[in-house]
Amino acid sequence: MAAAPVSLTIRMFNVGFGDCFLLTFNYAAGPRHMLVDFGSTSAPRRGKKKDYMLRVAQKIKEICGDKLHIVVATHRHRDHISGFATGTGTGEIIAQLNPDGVIQPWTEDPRARARALTARSSVYVRGKAKGDMTAHFLGSLEDMHRVADAVTRFADREDLAGKQTRAQLRFLGSDNLRNESAVKNLMRMGRRGKAWYVNAGMKLNLLPGVKCTVLGPPTLQQSNEIRSLRSRDPGEFWQFRNFWAAQSMALGTSWQVPAKPRTPEGADTATAHAGGTAQPPPPGVRWFINQSRQIQADQMLGLVRDLDDVMNNTSVILLLEVGKKKILLPGDAQIENWAYALSKPHWQQLLTDVNVYKVGHHGSRNATPKRLWNLFKHAGEAPDEQRIQTLCSTRSGKHGSVGSGTEVPRRLLVEELKAKSNFTSSEEAEDTFCSVTTVNFQEGA
Amino acid sequence: MSHHPTRKLTVFALDPSVKSRGKILRTQIEILNEYLGAGPRGHRVFVVDYDSSTDRFRTPAQLPKPVEGQPPEDPFASLSDRELLASPDFHAFMCFAIVMKTLARFEFALGRRLSWSFPSHQLQVAPHAFSDANAFYSDSANGLFFGYFPSKDGKRIVHTCLSHEIVAHETTHALLDGLRERYTDASSAQQAGFHEGFADIVALLSILSAQSIVEKVVDLGLPGAADGTLRRASVTVDALKMSGLFGLAQEMGSELAGVHGNALRRSVGLPPNKDYLTSADCDEPHRCGEVLVAAVLNAYLGIWVKRLQALGDESRLDRSRAAEEGAQLAEHLLNVCIRAIDYCPPTDILFGDFASALLTVDAELNPGDTRYELRAGLLRTFANYGIVPTAKGQPGRQEGSWDPPPPQAKFVYDRTHFENMKSDPDELFRFLWENRDAFKLHDQAHTRVLSVRACTRIGRDGFTLRETVVEYHQSLILFARELYTLKIRQPDGMPDDTKVTLYGGNAVIFDEYGHVKYNIGKSIMDADRQTERLGHLWRQGAYDKGASKARAFSRLHLRRNTAWYRSVPAGSPPAIQE
Repeated sequence: MAAAPVSLTIRMFNVGFGDCFLLTFNYAAGPRHMLVDFGSTSAPRRGKKKDYMLRVAQKIKEICGDKLHIVVATHRHRDHISGFATGTGTGEIIAQLNPDGVIQPWTEDPRARARALTARSSVYVRGKAKGDMTAHFLGSLEDMHRVADAVTRFADREDLAGKQTRAQLRFLGSDNLRNESAVKNLMRMGRRGKAWYVNAGMKLNLLPGVKCTVLGPPTLQQSNEIRSLRSRDPGEFWQFRNFWAAQSMALGTSWQVPAKPRTPEGADTATAHAGGTAQPPPPGVRWFINQSRQIQADQMLGLVRDLDDVMNNTSVILLLEVGKKKILLPGDAQIENWAYALSKPHWQQLLTDVNVYKVGHHGSRNATPKRLWNLFKHAGEAPDEQRIQTLCSTRSGKHGSVGSGTEVPRRLLVEELKAKSNFTSSEEAEDTFCSVTTVNFQEGA
Repeated sequence: MSHHPTRKLTVFALDPSVKSRGKILRTQIEILNEYLGAGPRGHRVFVVDYDSSTDRFRTPAQLPKPVEGQPPEDPFASLSDRELLASPDFHAFMCFAIVMKTLARFEFALGRRLSWSFPSHQLQVAPHAFSDANAFYSDSANGLFFGYFPSKDGKRIVHTCLSHEIVAHETTHALLDGLRERYTDASSAQQAGFHEGFADIVALLSILSAQSIVEKVVDLGLPGAADGTLRRASVTVDALKMSGLFGLAQEMGSELAGVHGNALRRSVGLPPNKDYLTSADCDEPHRCGEVLVAAVLNAYLGIWVKRLQALGDESRLDRSRAAEEGAQLAEHLLNVCIRAIDYCPPTDILFGDFASALLTVDAELNPGDTRYELRAGLLRTFANYGIVPTAKGQPGRQEGSWDPPPPQAKFVYDRTHFENMKSDPDELFRFLWENRDAFKLHDQAHTRVLSVRACTRIGRDGFTLRETVVEYHQSLILFARELYTLKIRQPDGMPDDTKVTLYGGNAVIFDEYGHVKYNIGKSIMDADRQTERLGHLWRQGAYDKGASKARAFSRLHLRRNTAWYRSVPAGSPPAIQE
């Protein structure tokens, strides 16, 4: 039986707004590496912006030598997986490191996704559908990618919204794009080694002496266990499914009206629905037209925020245990994802003595539930050696707004983390290419 | 010169998916024959056909010029279904007609003109507002917005403006907002659910007021004979509910269900249960609203079936007569529901308040209640859904109805002039101020008379009712640490320096002699109510930075459509208490 690692080196690369953590487990026989996410939507504020992701990839290669053992892609957001895309060199470098295994959420399982493709909105009528609920849920995720794509294009229309709103639309829209290249590369790497498509409750045998428990995401059946009776009404699910299918059809097709409108014979084509005339609006309606534009921009923002939450909640949550030390890696999981894990008393017990917490969703307020934070017995005012280490990879000014209390990282959360943990933020150490945290697993440490 | 005060316009009876003999079910609705501008642009409603997705403003629609001596033409009556579906003019006029008809229903029921909540006389309506599966009312934009989107097969466009139910629903939001502007404040889950539930009730009862639709319900629910008669034994609540209304709900556009849900299906399918309103499910406004809709629709079915027992011979009854009875009952119940709003408190409404208002207004206008036994039916069904009238009803008066002011409440009338009080908010405010002890006003709170409305109503039994309906509102801003001075409990964890706003307010009904007949509402000094409300809002995160103090209907609709996803228990609030 192989020995357990003696220590762990956690490297948090400064990728701006995104996550890239390289965990190096140091064994007597040599190191083994685990890369948890590699993505960014916005370059670090300082330092060389050009090719910053390529430099991170090269650094990972330099540290790993020729071998990366495990890759974790917590969920399909650009700020977590863009570095796995091929074409710019970053994805190729990671693939050349021949990972033994790739961990992704169950929502990325290609067999499930294949079923999702047959569960398209056009094959169900009035709540009766081909394909099971899971396949349709994955179909909804596909619809959401299409909506994100449309929102990104919408953000370019200067007439429709102010600069700030459009910047938010662009940011959230582009983060939720399909990220096809990265996904394919991850799939290829998984095929070459071992691909784990995980859900809550699985235990993974990743590295010698490292216990790995998957706390999320729950499957739909698992989520159903904690839903109330009325919420389990299939009509509720179909409404969700219908809604995203309709939005995807409405927004994901085209902003242009059809070139050849169908008009009734003899009808005035100038006023036919699809065409109409693009005459300048009279003064009496201009105020209302401006309101309409603003309202649509707000609608879009609401939609894209909602789908962003759904995508975040497909995040893998991993708890790694070596001896008595525990490292919690929740990706961007938010409350709906955490709800299942936190409903299990034995997992609550397991979480009480976490030593290292990767701060969920770059420090947003919804990703560190109070019930979770209150479980951590090593969180406290006294800065001793046992105090929990918290690692936050983030860049402010990109997500949410201070005015609405949705800014990421949320100022008050950062204050709490600073007060009650040994806090490291990629943003606050922004001159540092990579922040290093060491965890000693030896007895007495 | 000929004079035609009203005109008829063809609209779809429900939505384009509901057909009879292969043709879309239509109906003609009668609206005011006003001098319309292009749009159409009338005195209360103004259609602006602007599409923000394509940045396209369409040529405003116009009706043909009237021919002297002829009744106004219905230009859409002779068009085929295909032509109607493709005609933007029809879309504009269908929207216009349903909005005007809904407004007319409210004005008829309330016996007076209504105002919108925003400072304009004209509601603006965008029938093709955007390519988006949504439709909503926006008070900040003074308007209604109806989106459109491609069908699932991508072969046609689904227009929300062609759904009678959706247009009536959104118009009701606008009208209710005009009548009770504080119902969009953050308050209890029931207040949040009331707007949606009431809009569904008005939309569904409006649809069931059309005989062609009720005939369809009868045909779906009750097996008929070739001679147009029904077997009496088959007439049951269950048959009309599960085959009739549920069948109709199944036919309604499943694609539109992705926009608005299917209120008919949800409410018909909700079995009676007294615990709904106390369950965690009802924290979600739409779910909460569905309980109210289910109670009203089930009361409607029960009363309808009871009425049918009095018709026909021992074994059979006439199909058309059965449908006519159903349509008349829907119209009657709709009137009572709308009238009840005047008898509802202006702030922090609960379903029990609405129940008491319904019972009071019906007892006022229809004391005998011999035809429908409506009040007994409502009480029974509401109880089955756990909705208990707020008032008990004094002995000798209708059970569950509001009580008149207690004899010890001595109002001073001789310092104001009732004739002025019927229309002048300042005169009315003086009356309130002089009687602030009797009205239990807090003299440090900001007090505002929201409306003064003189009404004339005709009851079914021929009674004429002249009343003046007044709404006033109080608000008081305190720091959390000061709440104890009003015996209100500060929610656990709420910081002392949190600013909280307390609301209170009443609807006061004056009789034709100028005396206070009813004083219905919520005192700002009711410590138990304020404690419960603040606790609920605190738990819901309403005091978090950036949380909205009022509800946007567009956002609410989005939440409803994605409610399944969020229906796992909230887990817990964020780590940080803000």
